[in-house]
Amino acid sequence: MSERQLLDGSTAIAKSAIAAGMSFFAGYPMSPFTHLLESLSKHLPEVGGTCINAESEIEGVNMVLGAAAAGARAATGSCGQGIALMQETIGEAAQNETPFVVFNMARGQADYFQCTKGGGWGDYRTITLAPKDIHEAVEHTQLAFHLADKHRSPVILLGDPLLATTQVGVEITRFDFGALPAKDWALDGSTSGTGRSRQVWTWAMGKVTDPGLGMDQHWRNIADKFDRIAATEARHEEIATDDADVLVIAYGSAAAFVEHVCRRLRDEGHRVGVFRPVTLWPFPGEALLAATEGKRKVLVFEVNSGQMLDDVRAWTHDRRTIEFIGGVSVHESGLSFGPLLDAPVIRERILAHLPGGSGVTPPIPATPMETGVVG
Amino acid sequence: MATGIGGQGIQLLAKTLALAATRQGLHAMLSSEVGGEMRGGPSLSSVVIGDAPLHALPILEQTDTLILSHHRHSERARERLVPGGLVVVNADVVDEEVVPAGSEVVRVPAVGIAREIGSPQSSGLVLLGAYAARTGLVDHHQLGAAMESLLPPYRAKAVPANLEALRRGAAVAGGDS
Repeated sequence: MSERQLLDGSTAIAKSAIAAGMSFFAGYPMSPFTHLLESLSKHLPEVGGTCINAESEIEGVNMVLGAAAAGARAATGSCGQGIALMQETIGEAAQNETPFVVFNMARGQADYFQCTKGGGWGDYRTITLAPKDIHEAVEHTQLAFHLADKHRSPVILLGDPLLATTQVGVEITRFDFGALPAKDWALDGSTSGTGRSRQVWTWAMGKVTDPGLGMDQHWRNIADKFDRIAATEARHEEIATDDADVLVIAYGSAAAFVEHVCRRLRDEGHRVGVFRPVTLWPFPGEALLAATEGKRKVLVFEVNSGQMLDDVRAWTHDRRTIEFIGGVSVHESGLSFGPLLDAPVIRERILAHLPGGSGVTPPIPATPMETGVVG
Repeated sequence: MATGIGGQGIQLLAKTLALAATRQGLHAMLSSEVGGEMRGGPSLSSVVIGDAPLHALPILEQTDTLILSHHRHSERARERLVPGGLVVVNADVVDEEVVPAGSEVVRVPAVGIAREIGSPQSSGLVLLGAYAARTGLVDHHQLGAAMESLLPPYRAKAVPANLEALRRGAAVAGGDS
């Protein structure tokens, strides 16, 4: 599978998930996630796996919970609107330690809070990977399964319409992220009828004959685990930050646009750098604290009203340096980005805050109502 | 970039170009924006071809070349053409006044040619044939093979006419085929 193929991002992710050993997928179609479901419904059975078009998102994610509890590498997906319906199960799985992957092929960048702050009940976090392009999405797909199994926790891969539908020449290779613990907790039937059958239970109450840890100890353990993940799994990328006077922070596809613009600005002599959170949770806060020290301006670009902005405010060395240069920009169809996510537009928004700029972020261009639907 | 309206074959010609380039050992990226309408709405495709792994943005800041298949909805693509860039114009359809001034223009009577060969829906591939011949980006035979593999089985009977469309386009642009 190492030959370069022209694949859309959804098919590339599907093939990478299969290369990672995913054997079960269930989901319900919703644009732009539908491309991924269609691709898996074609390719997963080719390798003996199972792909189910469930009757709803709730049914899909709970099928995945069952498959994962039995030890399979399993995944579901949707866009933010459908992930909303799955939140109860994602929260339960975080607390009963069932690892699976959720592909949020979002319609834009409005789902940052949904991914990073959860939405189910309880004391949990969700590891969230935000690839900037299809090449990285291929790697992150396999990393997501690895991190899920390593930490026995759901992991979200956050995509968007550009990632889902753009085609690019990619090679699907198998990445090696190191050894994983055996799934000796999986409900594989091997202890059935022994009186010591295994349990995957959010409350960890056990049975009369075999008491569990109980909620207090179990949930303390879960909290400790998320503390460890926060301390060890945060990832980020920095471009030309050392001597930068102005730092721009962005994630996902938007970060690829910001990176492109900032490289051009660098070539023109502007001292501008890019800080990109690769994991949105854990947020790379300590790294941001270090990177923002001494900067004149810290610009935040995301295509929403300012969600990651909260995390940036919590970790920036001097909050007074922060300027939000993103904003809401939705395509006429509602299914993709509006005209804000465009290199010339982003360039003007950054230039406004560079030396000699007006200091005032330009207005967001209006969405023309005749451009049509992406994908 | 290739710009036109739904039904002109913009998406097929762009996919054909990107696939042919990939099979030729080049790196290609393809992104598309199409209207909700099946016919008549905006249709824009961007293809980037290079000899190293690509990290091009899916929404291009500028383009070196343009296939201009219809004047409607074409403003964004025309604005992004570099000064002096190549424009392959669907000459039977496009208003001459929208052809970017100062560009290198190849006018192709693509609709007329497609009608002549009895395959009016193949005009997009006439433009692609001309484009490929003028730019030399991809091999003519790779284009034909890529087009053939992109057609669904029920459209297989269109292959000979499509191959002829590519060939006639190349002839207009003065390329060998």
